[in-house]
Amino acid sequence: MSKQLNLWPARMDLLESLTGLLLVLFIWGHMFFESSILLGKDAMLWVTRMFEGAHIFDKPYPLLVSGAVAAIFVLIAVHAILALRKFPGSYRQYHSFHRHMGAMRHADTTLWYVQVITGFAMFFLASSHLYVVFVQPDNIGPYASSDRVWTGRFWILYVLLLISVHLHAGIGMYRLAMKWWPFKAASAALARKRLKLAMWCVIAFFLCLGSASLVTYMKIGYEHADRAGERYVPATESNHPVSN
Amino acid sequence: MSAIPVQQVGRTLYIHILRHNPCDPLSEAHLQTFELEEADAMTLFIALNEIRENHDPSLQFDFVCRAGICGSCGMIINGRPGLACRTLTKDLPDNITLAPLPAFELIGDLSVNTGKWMRGMSEQLETWVHSQGLENADIDSLEQTMEPELAEQLYELERCIECGCCIAACGTALMREDFIGAVGLNQITRFQLDPRDQRSDAQFYQLVGDDSGVFGCMTLLGCEDMCPKQLPLATQIAFLRRRMAMV
Amino acid sequence: MQIIYTDVLVIGGGLAGQRAAIGAKRRGQEVIVLSLVPAKRSHSSAAQGGMQASLGNCLGGSGDNEDIHFTDTVRGSDWGADQDVVRMFTHTAPKAIRELAAWGVPWNRVQRGDRQITVNGEKQTITEKDEAHGLITSRNFGGTQKWRACYVADGTGHAMLYTMSNQAIAANIPVHERMEAIALIHQDGRCCGAIVRNLMTGELLAYVAKATCIATGGFGRIYRVSTNAIINEGMGAAIALETGIATLGNMEAIQFHPTGIFPAGILVTEGCRGDGGLLLDGSQHRFMPDYEPEKAELASRDVVSRRMEEHITAGHAAQSRFGEHLWLDIRLLGAQHINTKLREVKEICQYFLGVDPAHDLIPVRPAQHYSMGGVRTNHRGESPQLRGLFSAGESACWDMHGFNRLGGNSVAETVVAGMIVGESMADFCDSADGALNISTSLVEHFGKQQQQQLGIIADPAGNESAFALMKQMQETMTANVGIFRDEPRLQEAVTTLQDLQRRSRNIRLRSSAAGANPELVAAYRVQRMLKLAQCVAYGALQRNESRGAHFRADYPQRNDLDWMRRTLASWPDAEADLPTLNYEDLDIMRMEIPPGWRGYGARDYIDHPDTARRQQQIDTLLGELGPADRYQQQEAVMPFKQLLPEHLRGTNQRLGDEE
Repeated sequence: MSKQLNLWPARMDLLESLTGLLLVLFIWGHMFFESSILLGKDAMLWVTRMFEGAHIFDKPYPLLVSGAVAAIFVLIAVHAILALRKFPGSYRQYHSFHRHMGAMRHADTTLWYVQVITGFAMFFLASSHLYVVFVQPDNIGPYASSDRVWTGRFWILYVLLLISVHLHAGIGMYRLAMKWWPFKAASAALARKRLKLAMWCVIAFFLCLGSASLVTYMKIGYEHADRAGERYVPATESNHPVSN
Repeated sequence: MSAIPVQQVGRTLYIHILRHNPCDPLSEAHLQTFELEEADAMTLFIALNEIRENHDPSLQFDFVCRAGICGSCGMIINGRPGLACRTLTKDLPDNITLAPLPAFELIGDLSVNTGKWMRGMSEQLETWVHSQGLENADIDSLEQTMEPELAEQLYELERCIECGCCIAACGTALMREDFIGAVGLNQITRFQLDPRDQRSDAQFYQLVGDDSGVFGCMTLLGCEDMCPKQLPLATQIAFLRRRMAMV
Repeated sequence: MQIIYTDVLVIGGGLAGQRAAIGAKRRGQEVIVLSLVPAKRSHSSAAQGGMQASLGNCLGGSGDNEDIHFTDTVRGSDWGADQDVVRMFTHTAPKAIRELAAWGVPWNRVQRGDRQITVNGEKQTITEKDEAHGLITSRNFGGTQKWRACYVADGTGHAMLYTMSNQAIAANIPVHERMEAIALIHQDGRCCGAIVRNLMTGELLAYVAKATCIATGGFGRIYRVSTNAIINEGMGAAIALETGIATLGNMEAIQFHPTGIFPAGILVTEGCRGDGGLLLDGSQHRFMPDYEPEKAELASRDVVSRRMEEHITAGHAAQSRFGEHLWLDIRLLGAQHINTKLREVKEICQYFLGVDPAHDLIPVRPAQHYSMGGVRTNHRGESPQLRGLFSAGESACWDMHGFNRLGGNSVAETVVAGMIVGESMADFCDSADGALNISTSLVEHFGKQQQQQLGIIADPAGNESAFALMKQMQETMTANVGIFRDEPRLQEAVTTLQDLQRRSRNIRLRSSAAGANPELVAAYRVQRMLKLAQCVAYGALQRNESRGAHFRADYPQRNDLDWMRRTLASWPDAEADLPTLNYEDLDIMRMEIPPGWRGYGARDYIDHPDTARRQQQIDTLLGELGPADRYQQQEAVMPFKQLLPEHLRGTNQRLGDEE
């Protein structure tokens, strides 16, 4: 066969899955790092410094964070553009899907719709979050972040983002597994059941973890409201000039 | 929707049927309700025939084998696609809503033109063994051998009866008319597995390597869950996706 | 009226029709297939257990060949079959299966080494040969000496039909779906196509063709309890009958399958018994060996069905809220076997009975299953009375089944007949006879006639319901023209059918819906089905003997002296209320196997003097021949290869043949 194959559909499908996978791994990592606040302000500061390269270069470089944000943004943009192709493209498509979903009451079909909605929501929510971190990479830290959450009223955004991102990520990982499912037909039904259970557990876990840390940031922000803008200085380095 | 009751012989069924006759310019789609006394071991096949014989002789529906083998009687039963001939009314609530399968051309009432769709799919995907010299095959000599296990695997995939339930259960197919759905993708995997078919992966890619084919599938899994033959559709589509992504 | 011209018109999209279409198309003919339903939904797909072909690959089949298959089929037919045709068939069946194997059917294959089988309720271990590994395997079926039914689990017909349909699509053969031929166009003893009704729009159109092939399957729906699909209403045979010229052969030969699930009548395959399943009565006693010590559950279908009904009448039935029945027990085969080799049976039990056959008994009772009779054709598949009309498969009385068909011989016949009749039609189209001179006014005339008849039905003057008439016909046939027949009941059936036929002229439609109008469809079909039913009942009444599936309680013997003949029914006067019956002699002096005992069933029959003479003649012929191989011996007794298309004459190779 001499006819040239158009490999773009395959590449795009792979890329959509791959960007999704990377973003989920990122967000799950992100959750653990940000929840370091649960271990205390010092722990959170240590993590923040780590990302600013302070443990390697001896001095924090917040621009590194901006760089990471830019990379994540590119991943999101690629993922979103690829996924957007699959969204209902017209009212007619939207209508027939919606009617179908309502009539069939089928979990995985409904879950896809949840992904469409959360994905759509994240256009705005994630973009806002990323923008703030991108332009103010130095504004992360036990007090800085808490002030943003509470005094800056970002908690509203974060609540919505938390829910959206974890539903989208958890369902996405489940769908990713089903999409490329490398297992035998004989065991598929059982494996799928387990996978679905794992999906709900992971979503629940991250929602709990995220809520706990968000509440912590809110609490710190609330208590720190009258001194908003002041940076946290760890007890061990109270005479050190650099802090966030 | 009311809860599924335990079997009570003699309960009254309310069967709501989405009626429309495209041959009649005055016909408009509407739900019509028929009251029916439930009988022992009643299937929707029996119920619909009773409605036609005693209530409305113009009611259109398709049955052929009435044994779950031929795939003619796919319809939407209380929101979900299924084979009417082997659906027992005792497994359904008092109110039963029947509608034609979406995504197919409507012939009338519950009858849709799945045949035309499936033939189109077969022509598009060339769902037959591609092999040199089939016309002059030597049929006097011993047949080519095949591993017994492989033959059984092929039959597993060939059990598809082209009833259209997977298409009606697929949100993707409902949004995109050119999507070939699980029925088409499964058949490609069947021929891909068959050593008698000499097509290469690249040739299969030309048939299904785009968004109307395997890469259009969004893994909603309606097909897997609604297939009356319980074919391993999710596994097969995933297999094909991996295979085609590696071409 | 729209007129469509083609070389070959095939009416019916099942295995026989599509194979004939492919054959004709390969010979360069233009072919159109008409089908009531999408072709892949044809009733061929319901064949479950297997296709008979003497490959002899597996241990149970080893030593099998055309001769044994021939003997089994002739005995099965109770000597009603045309032995030339049976020879053509058994010779071509291995080729048919090999062709299908090349085309993609996933036949189950021989696995070398030990495996467990179930025989007579006991487990045995057999060892398959190394050299047979990977060749097509086969299972045991009723009435055969060898394991000869090649199979694809228990979806054999489905797998065959899908492969066949896909090859037809590959060959670019148009299938006009949801089209019903309602009359044949003919002139001066020459068939020139059909008037066809579009079942989606109700519109009439004409197909004009040099050769027309009826491949519409059986007419089981004239019975209330039948394994047949809803569409098996015999319209192909009926429109041939309505020409008044073509004849239907042996319409009284109706097969009842022993294991229809009770009460729905859905088939569970003979493969259940072939693989070792047993029949039990109400007290779970295995009763078949009491009646048939040699073959037990695996005697031919007519015998097993009769014994089952006999046992029920003797008061040994199991009772359910639907009535009396017997049990099929396949529990002993084990879940593993059922889940792989009998999975459609498992599904049917699960959905329609709510039982798991690996743990529960299956309620069964014989149900109408097959029509041995149909459009009478010669060995080439052409009607002897109406040139240009061909028929293949169950709709035909090509007559390889006589008065009883063996399980697995029907799907085999569809493909073999398709291979042969496709060639016959191509030959016919290419010959001088094939040329067609037909005026459009003739076509219009036939079209108008049909239009008019449909108009009369739609006329609101009548007072009869098509559905009610259909029900009464089915009740009458099931009650009076069943497994056990006798004069009073047959007479009652004939009278009732005459009455119903008269009443069917006064059908009143309640619906005038645009389009197909299902009530109108039922109306014009019941009129035709009544004629077919009458051919069955009247033919059965006239045949004062018992042969194969036709069992007269008042004439329990097979009577070769008076009844070595085939019934030919025609309906020359459209207004008549009975068919005209003629008889065609079967010449014992030309038979390869003269009539004798079948090896199962009753052993008493009235001999024909020719039987002994022919046997002596055969012995002399073989004696004169001296030492010879089986091919030469067969050739000396009844040469048949000249009847086959040239490319189908080759010798079938088998494992262990000496090269």
